[in-house]
Amino acid sequence: MNEAIIEMDHVSKTYPSQISALSDITLEILPGEFTFIAGPSGSGKTTLLRVLCCAERPTSGEVVVYGMHITDPGFKKIYQLRRTMGIVSQDFKLLRDRTVNENVAFALEVTGHTRKEAKRKASDMLSRVGLEEREEDPILALSAGEQQRVAIARALVNSPPLILADEPTGNLDAKMTLDIMGTLTDLHQKGTTILFATQFTGLVKRYSYRVIRILDGQILNGRKVDSTQVPEVKPGE
Amino acid sequence: MMGNLFPNFITISIIVISMLIFSTFTLIAFNLTNLLKIWEDKIEIIAYLKQGTSSREVEPLLNITRLLEGVEVVRYVSPYDAMDFMATKLGRQKSLLEGIQPALLPPSFEIQLKKDYRNSTKIKEVVAHLEKIRQFEEIQYGQEWVETFSVLVHILRLTQWILGGLLLIGIVFITSNTLQLTISSRREEIEVMHWVGASPGFIRIPFYVEGLLQGLFGGGLAILFLFLLHQGFFLYIPPSMQAWMEKIPVLFLPPETIAWILLGGMVLGFFGSFVASMRVLKYK
Repeated sequence: MNEAIIEMDHVSKTYPSQISALSDITLEILPGEFTFIAGPSGSGKTTLLRVLCCAERPTSGEVVVYGMHITDPGFKKIYQLRRTMGIVSQDFKLLRDRTVNENVAFALEVTGHTRKEAKRKASDMLSRVGLEEREEDPILALSAGEQQRVAIARALVNSPPLILADEPTGNLDAKMTLDIMGTLTDLHQKGTTILFATQFTGLVKRYSYRVIRILDGQILNGRKVDSTQVPEVKPGE
Repeated sequence: MMGNLFPNFITISIIVISMLIFSTFTLIAFNLTNLLKIWEDKIEIIAYLKQGTSSREVEPLLNITRLLEGVEVVRYVSPYDAMDFMATKLGRQKSLLEGIQPALLPPSFEIQLKKDYRNSTKIKEVVAHLEKIRQFEEIQYGQEWVETFSVLVHILRLTQWILGGLLLIGIVFITSNTLQLTISSRREEIEVMHWVGASPGFIRIPFYVEGLLQGLFGGGLAILFLFLLHQGFFLYIPPSMQAWMEKIPVLFLPPETIAWILLGGMVLGFFGSFVASMRVLKYK
């Protein structure tokens, strides 16, 4: 029996302005699942992912990721949590004064890899996202779509067991979206757990993965799953 | 990296100014203490004998005085010796002494003290013993200026440490704020480090090292400026003061004090960056 790697139990998040971003969210993610978190803009997808990587503290409820009770007031090892996950955010978070390769290699260097090793691994990963020709270019010379791919490469380069991707294909054209989805599917088939937040229902329909629909901070089709259940696939929802 | 130059410059400048103020007070206090030591070395007691004390009484009295605790050397100054001393002091105006009988001058003992007793507190113990000897008419040891000078040096030392304490708080506050500028100029990089799981030590240690180096550099520059001021002081002494100054050595800080100031600068720089990192390098 597989134990969930992510457990959210009655999690709510209300901002000081009394805006409720998440309301009583309860869900479980099993290891190796590819899960779409689908919902329109402002529905709470980003907040949900930010809670999972400890960038936001929920107002109430409990969150456990890889056995770490990240909502405990005494939880300090955020960096250990983040090392278990590759994060792709909407705003890319790239270093503007560095090259494409340096941006990807940076994720390896700060987690203990040598510069040479980091550069080589970054180079390999950039080939996988189709940026091998732009490795030495400054980041600002890239289009938004290319920057998105650099951010994806950086999230994947450490081979994390969990990927939190917030609209990772939002700035990509159809072909590049399919390429990136292909890369993520490869990783999923090798056992990586993927949480993919998107507002594009067309993309969700195309793949037979579990879908969690979210609206106004509430899960519409939420349920707890256990390892005996095959993730429900509702393409087109 | 160029973006870090300005906050670095500001931080180092503030450390230099603060350490220069503290070092200047340290230098003044050091020289005044040194001067006090020189004067204390010259401290002696003059015990005037009562008129009519017979020469037979002098030798036993000398022996009694020599046996007192803290007394190193005792010399008898007869009225004739006193007259010669006054004539020497008056120089070309010694004719003023013509007609004065040496017998009018009181004989005295010049009492030099052991090193430990050459201070305003211990000297009083010796004087108290001397005052019990009935053959002494009056005892002088320049108590007023010794005490005044001791109080002056004490106040200066106290000012140095109070000022040092205030500067310390100020430096930590200012350096932590200016180091926040340095950290802010690298916030993008820090945010990515947080995002990819760099350990807090990996993120913070470079800032601590930077704080240490800024403190060392700032302290070093303060010492250099103080040295230049010290040298310049001698260049601009008015001629009227030069002869007087020759008798008073104005020393620069000894190496161990310089080492302490440099260490102090490093500790301040480190502590400033530590406070700054506690405030702005929280994992988020």
